[in-house]
Amino acid sequence: MHELSVARGLLAAIERNLKPGDARVVRVSVSVGSAAGIALDSLRLAFRVIAEGTRIDGAELSITALPARSRCTGCGILFEFGGMIGHCPSCGRLGGELLSGDELILRTFEVADV
Amino acid sequence: MCDTCGCGTPSPRTIELNQRVIAGNAASAEHNRAHFAAHEIFAVNLMGTPGAGKTALLEATIRRWRESGRIAVIEGDQATDRDSARIRAAGAAACQIETGLGCHLDAAQIHHALHRLELGDRDMLFIENVGNLVCPALFDLGERLRVVVTSTAEGADKPLKYPPMFRAAHIVVLNKCDLIPHVPFNFDEWTDYVLAVNPHTRIIKASALSGEGMGEWLSQLDGLRQSFLYATGSSA
Repeated sequence: MHELSVARGLLAAIERNLKPGDARVVRVSVSVGSAAGIALDSLRLAFRVIAEGTRIDGAELSITALPARSRCTGCGILFEFGGMIGHCPSCGRLGGELLSGDELILRTFEVADV
Repeated sequence: MCDTCGCGTPSPRTIELNQRVIAGNAASAEHNRAHFAAHEIFAVNLMGTPGAGKTALLEATIRRWRESGRIAVIEGDQATDRDSARIRAAGAAACQIETGLGCHLDAAQIHHALHRLELGDRDMLFIENVGNLVCPALFDLGERLRVVVTSTAEGADKPLKYPPMFRAAHIVVLNKCDLIPHVPFNFDEWTDYVLAVNPHTRIIKASALSGEGMGEWLSQLDGLRQSFLYATGSSA
C-alpha cells in the first residue's frame, strides 16, 4: 500500500503551491503512467484519507491514465503499451528501454476562495 | 464574479504545475543525499525479496571490505532487530528500523536513523530495505546506488512479474548461484527477462555462502564509490 505515501507526496506538492488566500482546493488533476506501479483505486482512497482536515479535503481527484512508451532494444522503434511491460509491435521482442510511463504528474489544481 | 450567472461567487482558479511527484518526501531524500555527499559516504539502497540473501550478502561484503568497521548499515524490517545483530556480529555499525505495518523505507525514516548512526570514517552506508519486490522501488532514499538482490530459488520469471523493481536497479545481484545445479532455474531465461525490463542494468552472479561472484561485486562497489567520490569533489 505505497499509494498512501504517493498521496502524501501529492498533497505536499499541492500545499507547497497554495497561497494563504486559497480557502480550499476543489479539484486536482494528475496523470499516471501505466508502468508506474500505482493502483488508481488505492490512490483515490489514499488521497481522500490523507486530505482530511486539510484545505484539500473533499477535492475531486481526476486521474488520466497514460500509456507507457519504450524503445525496442531489438529493432529500435518506439512503441506505446498499456501495463508494466510491452511487446514490440514490429519485431515482437519483449520489453525495451522505458522512455515514459513510470511517472505521476501533478497537472493542475483548482482553488476556491470560499 | 461567477462566470456562469454573475451571482457573486468567484469561480475556482486553475493553477498549472505539470510537475513530477515522487512518493514520500522529496525534500528528505535530497537532504539525505546532501548529507551523504558532505560526509563522502557512498549510500546503497539494497532491495529484494525476503529470503533472497540481502543480509547474507552484506555479511559477506563486510567481511571482505578493506576494514569491516568502515561500513555502516541501516536495517529495515517489519519486526525484530535480528538483522542489525547479524551486521554487528560481522563487524560493521548497524541501526535497526522496525517499520511495523510499513512495507518499505522512506527518506524521512533514513534521516531519523542517521541521527542514531555514527557515520564518522565510514566508506559506505548500506540501507537494507524491507524485503518486498513492490513498494520499495518507488521511494528515493537519497542513495547513490540501487541494488536488487534476488536468488535462483525464486525462479526465472520474477523480473517480468515485478518490473518497477528491476527497472529501478543499477545492479541486480543473483544470489544463491551455488544452488543452480539443484533448482529448476534457467539463467539465460532470467537474464533475458532482466534485460527486457532494464537494458542498462548490470548483472552479477553471486553466492554469499560460497563466495562466488563476491570479487566482482566488491570491485563494482569500489569503482562506483570512486566515481561518487570524484563527483563530490574529494580524492579517493
